[in-house]
Amino acid sequence: MEEPPLREEEEEEEDEGDEGDEAGPEGALGKSPFQLTTEDVYDISYVMGRELMALGSDPRVTQLQFKIVRVLEMLETLVNEGNLTVEELRMERDHLRKEVEGLRREGSAASPEVNLGPDKMVIDLTDPNRPRFTLQELRDVLQERNKLKSQLLVVQEELQCYKSGLIPPREGSGRRREKDVLVARASSASSNKEEKTIIRKLISELHLHGSCCQGREEGLPS
Amino acid sequence: MAKKTYDLLFKLLLIGDSGVGKTCVLFRFSDDAFNTTFISTIGIDFKIKTVELQGKKIKLQIWDTAGQERFHTITTSYYRGAMGIMLVYDITNGKSFENISKWLRNIDEHANEDVERMLLGNKCDMDDKRVVPKGKGEQIAREHGIRFFETSAKANINIEKAFLTLAEDILRKTPVKEPNSENVDISSGGGVTGWKSKCC
Repeated sequence: MEEPPLREEEEEEEDEGDEGDEAGPEGALGKSPFQLTTEDVYDISYVMGRELMALGSDPRVTQLQFKIVRVLEMLETLVNEGNLTVEELRMERDHLRKEVEGLRREGSAASPEVNLGPDKMVIDLTDPNRPRFTLQELRDVLQERNKLKSQLLVVQEELQCYKSGLIPPREGSGRRREKDVLVARASSASSNKEEKTIIRKLISELHLHGSCCQGREEGLPS
Repeated sequence: MAKKTYDLLFKLLLIGDSGVGKTCVLFRFSDDAFNTTFISTIGIDFKIKTVELQGKKIKLQIWDTAGQERFHTITTSYYRGAMGIMLVYDITNGKSFENISKWLRNIDEHANEDVERMLLGNKCDMDDKRVVPKGKGEQIAREHGIRFFETSAKANINIEKAFLTLAEDILRKTPVKEPNSENVDISSGGGVTGWKSKCC
């Protein structure tokens, strides 16, 4: 009835204790000091008291009896205190264990990537402005943009030369570019006649001054 | 019948911290205009301006880089083809001045050894907000043996002078034998493989 509340792995020890009880009060003296209960201390005091009584009423025995009682009281206090402390710590441990499990479950549910490395970043997939493209893709796009820009500048320059009469029209032959002219025509079906003419001129001009154009192209940014 | 629209082609590069005004400096030079809205340059851009020096038509192909750290791997690959580099800081921004040594190190690491360098202290119209004295700019330029100008893209101070001086310095180093403009090889290399013309 005075047994301290034991659980789980301690149940075995409790059983052993019971066995000890079955072995009689003397069994308590054979127990490990770490498994002693106050019950055991009472058993021990019962055994010792019985033996002291058997020694008779010699005053030396009486004197010794006081000391033994004192020592047994100290043992009782220690065992009691120890068991209480163990029980308290056990409760505390179980409580913390439950709390950790709860937090862990909560954490994994909320953000599965809590354990990111120091050089990682989290991307919000619902953010319409989230990063999507790689540096290489940006590099490629920029290169293409700059290439097209430089080609446009070349074409504008050529056009300017043409407009200002530096290059006489119909110079040489643009026949080999006929296909491109057709393509240009098809792709600009909606544009008016004047625009078509400019495209035709441009293309034949590009062809005419091919070497010039190419030279500059090579000189252009890459 | 190739016509010649220029005698020489010089490739220049603008570098410096984000927001010091590299794009504005270039815009002032190429278009003689100024815009107060700040739009961070994405990676790299360029403009072309033809000038005449010592009777030669010189086409300046000026590369404008993004100052932001995140574009550095892209921008540094453009250093190598540059014949002249303008390093720009902002006289109202001490950090941009402190970073000059970092930019100079970048030049040492990525540009041609004989590249012509120039230091520009921009926004010199904002004297009330100045934190970098002109003398400090001059001093660091002297230490590195490079030219220095204080400029203002907004007030159009020293912009053309800076570009023309840099072009002259490059012209001075250019071999007397004038290269055929059609074959000027200024392909930047710079980690980016040159693309071949498909237009002809």
